[in-house]
Amino acid sequence: MRSVTIKRKHDLYPYALLTPAVAGAVAIIFIPMLFSFVLSFMNYVLHRPQDHAFVFLDNYRRALGDGVFRIALRNTFIWIVGVIGLQVSLGFVTALFLNRRFAWRGLARALILIPWVTPSVITALMWRFMLDGNTGIINDLLVRVGILQEYVPWLAMSSTALPAVMVALMWQGFPFFAVMILAGLQAIPTELYEVADVDGAKTYQKFFRITLPLVMPVLLTTILLRTIWVANSLDIIFIMTGGGPGYSSYTLPLYSYIRAYRGLDFGYAATIAVYLTILLIALITGYVVKVLKSEDMY
Amino acid sequence: MKRVFIVGVVLLIGIGLLFAGGAREEPVRTVEFWYHLDDPEARLDPLIEEFEAQNPDIRIDAQHVPWDAYHERLITAVAAGNPPDAAQVKLWWQPQLVELDALQPLDEYLAGWNGVDDVFDRIWELTRYEDGTQYYMPLQMVILYMYYRVDVFDELGLEIPETREEFLDVAATITEEIDDMYGFGIRGARGGHDYWGTFVLSSGAEFFDADGNVVLDSSEAIEANQWYIEMYREHGVSPPTTPADGFVEVIDNMLTGRTAMTIHHIGSARQMHDQFGDDISAFVVPAGTEGRWTSFGDEQTAILATDPDVQDAAWEWISFLATAEYNQMWNDISGQVSINISNEDVDYGEIQRFLEVTTASADYAGVLPAHPEIASFVESTWPAEMQRAFEGEITSEQMMRNLADHFRD
Amino acid sequence: MPRHESFARRVLTLHIPVLLIVLFAVGPYVWSFITSISLPGQMMVRAGEALRYFPENPTFSNYQRLFDRIQFFSNLTDSFVVATLAMLFGLCVSLTASFSFSRFRFWGRRYLMLQFLVINMFPIVLLLIPLFVITSRLGINDTHIALVLAYGTFTIPFSTWMMTSFFNAIPKSLDEQAQIDGCNRFTAMVRIIIPIAMPGIAATGIYIFITSWNEFVFASVLTGRNVETIPLALQRMVGQHRIAWELLTAGGVISAIPVVVLFFFIQKQLISGMTAGAVKA
Repeated sequence: MRSVTIKRKHDLYPYALLTPAVAGAVAIIFIPMLFSFVLSFMNYVLHRPQDHAFVFLDNYRRALGDGVFRIALRNTFIWIVGVIGLQVSLGFVTALFLNRRFAWRGLARALILIPWVTPSVITALMWRFMLDGNTGIINDLLVRVGILQEYVPWLAMSSTALPAVMVALMWQGFPFFAVMILAGLQAIPTELYEVADVDGAKTYQKFFRITLPLVMPVLLTTILLRTIWVANSLDIIFIMTGGGPGYSSYTLPLYSYIRAYRGLDFGYAATIAVYLTILLIALITGYVVKVLKSEDMY
Repeated sequence: MKRVFIVGVVLLIGIGLLFAGGAREEPVRTVEFWYHLDDPEARLDPLIEEFEAQNPDIRIDAQHVPWDAYHERLITAVAAGNPPDAAQVKLWWQPQLVELDALQPLDEYLAGWNGVDDVFDRIWELTRYEDGTQYYMPLQMVILYMYYRVDVFDELGLEIPETREEFLDVAATITEEIDDMYGFGIRGARGGHDYWGTFVLSSGAEFFDADGNVVLDSSEAIEANQWYIEMYREHGVSPPTTPADGFVEVIDNMLTGRTAMTIHHIGSARQMHDQFGDDISAFVVPAGTEGRWTSFGDEQTAILATDPDVQDAAWEWISFLATAEYNQMWNDISGQVSINISNEDVDYGEIQRFLEVTTASADYAGVLPAHPEIASFVESTWPAEMQRAFEGEITSEQMMRNLADHFRD
Repeated sequence: MPRHESFARRVLTLHIPVLLIVLFAVGPYVWSFITSISLPGQMMVRAGEALRYFPENPTFSNYQRLFDRIQFFSNLTDSFVVATLAMLFGLCVSLTASFSFSRFRFWGRRYLMLQFLVINMFPIVLLLIPLFVITSRLGINDTHIALVLAYGTFTIPFSTWMMTSFFNAIPKSLDEQAQIDGCNRFTAMVRIIIPIAMPGIAATGIYIFITSWNEFVFASVLTGRNVETIPLALQRMVGQHRIAWELLTAGGVISAIPVVVLFFFIQKQLISGMTAGAVKA
């Protein structure tokens, strides 16, 4: 499928098309990022200008011996895998249902978008309000239905705080997956299913042989982009638990933020951020290589 | 073509909006002032109008910054070299701001100001920096005290406790006798150091000794802290949500009848009174082994401008806010208490009893020490370590050692 | 034709599950709404009492206060202007970039695509101070432009990747056909490819719009006085010692409405057409 007309040597046209995007990204993201990267090799406590100096890898070594950093690192793994897993599962199920025909489909499709369009501050505060161990509606509901015997202080226990925040983030993020997967489902030609029906395929066979493989490209791109976003999101954790109880819901971006804006230790905060970036790159490298290699097949 | 046209129109409207209201004739000096108020409907307009009428050459450009973003925004602006000219500030930021060289000393201005004597001495003491310089201008007198349910006390025949042991007895009795009610709502999340201070800093714990060494992990401090942790873990006088309870939850727990006592300031008095009427009242926090300690929940203003002319203008504004008449106006807006002696007799009507307890608590009001690490202590280290101790993950000794290490590093 | 399902079976396997999902999605929103029409503190479990699920005397006074006394309408306008312009700006910039990534093979292409991902991996809060310095130097602090630039740019990586995959789904034979028919490379993009990719472009545009509509961190640092978007206005209702729940929830309820209504009207075209181009060819 490769095209001859498009491949020319020393063609400046593709670069010209890229210039606005690259210029914007360099000016607004890349330069500030580079600045922070340099800080990660420095002792840079904002309010101690006299101590600012290059310390090379000291901050990086310090992080490895830092107990809170290790907790935050572990939580970041749990956070990414858990939140993305939850969002994808619920998003997929939602998309499968909303792909079927029924009277109020349009309404349902619009309504499930509500979590995505609700500002994070409201999302976080409402979930905190609803999950409250003394006054919240969720305990009241669960007790009425009989799932719980007594109220659970969800956000006050190390064992439940992080999962509770993950549920809130699942709520916020699953509509986006649903919309993207729905778009992917719509692109599957119905003839494929008709042929499968003729062959007497069972529902699960159709799902694993037709639906899943054909939705996969959209799904993977969405997962990739959302993983980066979820890994960096901290507003909802910050408002719901502030990282607590103890350090039980600290994640790397939250820790970095707290070191930067509470301790004004921008050097160390930048180091934590760089570790996070390395972690993310490691997580997605395999996928990106695959995508970039398969690119030429289009 | 039609689509392109529509896009063009949208762009033009957008660009028009961007520049609308840009041009305005500036008076001689403009003071950019940042503040935060808990009531989103509150407006400073009357104060600003009055000030601008008195000072026609100064314009106040007041900006209401959301509290949650206030500290980081202030630090960002200072670090980027573009701070506001004057701002409402908290004491625990003072050491950082002083080290950043962001604050203008007020001593020379104060020497020529005739309002100094009308501000309570205690407040000058509490807001003065450790090197003796006055950077902060007092604005509000926020002092914490104990709210309690009069009806619950009456029903069980309880007396107002004077010491921490009596207090624990009272709290335990309520917890035991009344279904679904806990004696004392402890704030275990961010900001709960006020409660902790009342019981721990009053019973032998100190941050630094006379030579400036960290002594937070002294045996007295560990013991006092142990007593505090046991209130929750052993005696269970506070709800199981304690480690996560912030100010919203602590107040909600009172309002919904989940707790019978909690520590807060007069800012909640109106709400409490509306809910319970005469069934809610207040007393001065109980004494620890070394006397009483309660938190001075401070609000001040400071000058951050670098241009001398603007500094002078900013001084006019913040000193205006500290004079009796206008300070009372400010505090009517914020729901707090004036710093001026001549406002002592202002009538607070049906919540007068809370004003009286505030004033009675003033002698015991304390603040955390001025140290550059105090901001991160308050915001992250203390809550995390306290929550771990409340959960039984670490002992009192480990907690105090970690807190001490925060200042040793 | 799909098999004929009994009504009961459809209720069990379709309507009830969808209803549950929709309830989960709108539950917190409905609870916000109920809180916003109640008096403060009514919607909480009280000691020894069962929780009421609807207030005794519902009132819309909070909404009135929101518009009369907090000037929420100007917040809506600010958010709308910022989100719309950021969407247009972001689309224009990333449209050409993704076309380039999709249609050309050139030196540095993979590296650039990778870079576009990597720059998104750094926590944005650490970029605030340098960004604030840059916008101060440009003299655009507290203007719509600052936010439009920030949002348009920060969504570039995402938009570019998204649209590249949409463009990739359009066969290149169409480009060639257009060039044979006398288009040059630019007009081929504008006349042939963009119209086919429109649903994908719309989806990306919606992404930028919603992201800008809800963003708080940049808005709080780069603006605040002349320009105050909805999330910033809502954050103002969270005080140091008090949360104005009734106003906060009222604001939250309103802020979601425009976007949901907008989506309701375009969702059919959007979703069904999103990848239609690829299938037809």
